[in-house]
Amino acid sequence: MSRMNMEISLRRRVTNIVMLSITGLFTLLTITILFCILGYLLYHGIGSLSWSFFTNLPKPTGEAGGGMANAIVGSGKILLIATVLGVPVGFLAGVYLSEYSGRTFAFVVRYVTDLLNGVPSIVIGIFAYAMVVKPMHRFSTLAGGIALGIMMIPIAVRTTEEFLRAVPNSLREASLALGATKATTIFTVVAPAAIQGLVSGMMLNLARVAGETAPLLFTALGNMFWSRGWSQPSASLPVMIYQYAISPYEDYHQQAWAAGFVLLALVLSINVTARLVISGRGATARR
Amino acid sequence: MAIQPPHVEDTSAMPAGGINAPQTSVIPKLRTRDLNFYYGSFQALHNIGIDIASRKITAFIGPSGCGKSTFLRTMNRMNETVRGTRYDGQILLDGEDIRKMDVTGVRRRVGMVFQKSNPFPKTIFENVAYGLRINGAKKATIAETVQRSLERAALWTEIKDKLHKPASALSGGQQQRLCIARALAVEPEVLLLDEPCSALDPVATLKIEELLFQIKETTTIVIVTHNMQQAARLADHTGFFLMGKLIEFNDTRAIFQNPKKKETEDYVTGRFG
Ligand SMILES: Nc1ncnc2c1ncn2[C@@H]1O[C@H](COP(=O)(O)OP(=O)(O)OP(=O)(O)O)[C@@H](O)[C@H]1O
Ligand SMILES: [Mg+2]
Repeated sequence: MSRMNMEISLRRRVTNIVMLSITGLFTLLTITILFCILGYLLYHGIGSLSWSFFTNLPKPTGEAGGGMANAIVGSGKILLIATVLGVPVGFLAGVYLSEYSGRTFAFVVRYVTDLLNGVPSIVIGIFAYAMVVKPMHRFSTLAGGIALGIMMIPIAVRTTEEFLRAVPNSLREASLALGATKATTIFTVVAPAAIQGLVSGMMLNLARVAGETAPLLFTALGNMFWSRGWSQPSASLPVMIYQYAISPYEDYHQQAWAAGFVLLALVLSINVTARLVISGRGATARR
Repeated sequence: MAIQPPHVEDTSAMPAGGINAPQTSVIPKLRTRDLNFYYGSFQALHNIGIDIASRKITAFIGPSGCGKSTFLRTMNRMNETVRGTRYDGQILLDGEDIRKMDVTGVRRRVGMVFQKSNPFPKTIFENVAYGLRINGAKKATIAETVQRSLERAALWTEIKDKLHKPASALSGGQQQRLCIARALAVEPEVLLLDEPCSALDPVATLKIEELLFQIKETTTIVIVTHNMQQAARLADHTGFFLMGKLIEFNDTRAIFQNPKKKETEDYVTGRFG
């Protein structure tokens, strides 16, 4: 009897150790991949990473001191439009799902949002091309922003719905019991109670689309100079990386690596800020 | 004129809500007639007919799950926010059917302190100021009203130095008193309190009871309590609920010293099993 017990406990311990090492190994692998990418980008791009990379326009190949200032600013403008479009639309739809709609309708909308989320980004790009670029007869910052904004909507809806649902009902009741309307309650009690989750969710959402390339190919196109306005073609970091990487020139390749590093650093810093916003929740509650 | 006992609702002998003029000098603030309440198919309240006297303290007692909270929450239409609930019958506030009134107006006039304290995740000050702000109080008067409300809820001296700290930093009992202050700030005509003292120590409980005595001058108070001494100390009238029925409603002294129903007697003497 006791020998059997010992055997079982031995077997359990071995399984435990094996599982621990396998899962640990793969966790390590995941982390390593991120650092490898960062290191690789830095290694190849470091030569082009200088102050002028951030301040200068692209120069013809062979000329020294070319930069990507226009692509950095262009990406910023495109992401700004995307946020201004995607966040309010997604937020308000999320408010509707969490606070107003019936269960069946919410279920259907949630399903549709998941489908929209699964639409390949290149298809979104073609859609924005048909809806914005065609009628306006030109590629533009605006079209790029709209394409990325559409991509932000599904996650914005889900984030809002989930964080609002997590707000305890007793808070809604407290506000309603004082004679507040439902709308007042949502905007002065429920949403502020969820604000940290909402802000960080939206930032992660932004970080997710910041690296999108395909939808921009048909919409913002690209530009070797400063974009002449919101309704004109614009450079962006992902498209610039793509164009430089497929070019036959060694110095362009190096710049593409540098741009890749800048883009990744940007996305990571948005990510880290979002996580800090989330963990800040505990701090304010305790203060 | 001597104050006479309020209308005694005898649900078995009398069609509830049938005879609705109590032989009494007190003016009813809230009345219900043939009130039946349902959570989906489950009927939580049966034929409640009651007159709640203006500017008096009315207490409701009864075992857990008998429908006290449900009853309280129908009177400010709070149960309407719960999916699948409905009621029939009438609830009258100053003679007017609350179902026909604007819901925010009803809740503004009939304030509520919930069974579980529920301060907003805002500062102490903003918690109390909230009701004033949404009801359009003048900015200049807000700070003063906030202080007065906190004083009345016996919380001011403890927190006057941390008004702008989050309410979550308060103890459970302090949070409950904050909720009372928040309800008082908008000066409701009726204040519904659902076991407001269950998280309080005897000193704070006493302070709240003193407060209720004070505001009785201007406010109709309805309180649910599990503490029978508290009902006996505080209330002018007491009602006993059992399984969704109002078994007996009378002067508090009569309920505790001379109950007419066997169930009431068993409950107040602790023989209820
Ligand atoms: N949201 C709900 N959905 C369905 N049934 C409910 C709901 N809330 C309460 N009930 C039921 O209604 C009955 C009365 O509940 P209520 O909360 O009014 O009791 P109570 O007298 O306040 O009890 P306690 O003293 O424990 O607070 C109980 O049987 C309860 O199970
Ligand atoms: Mg209750």
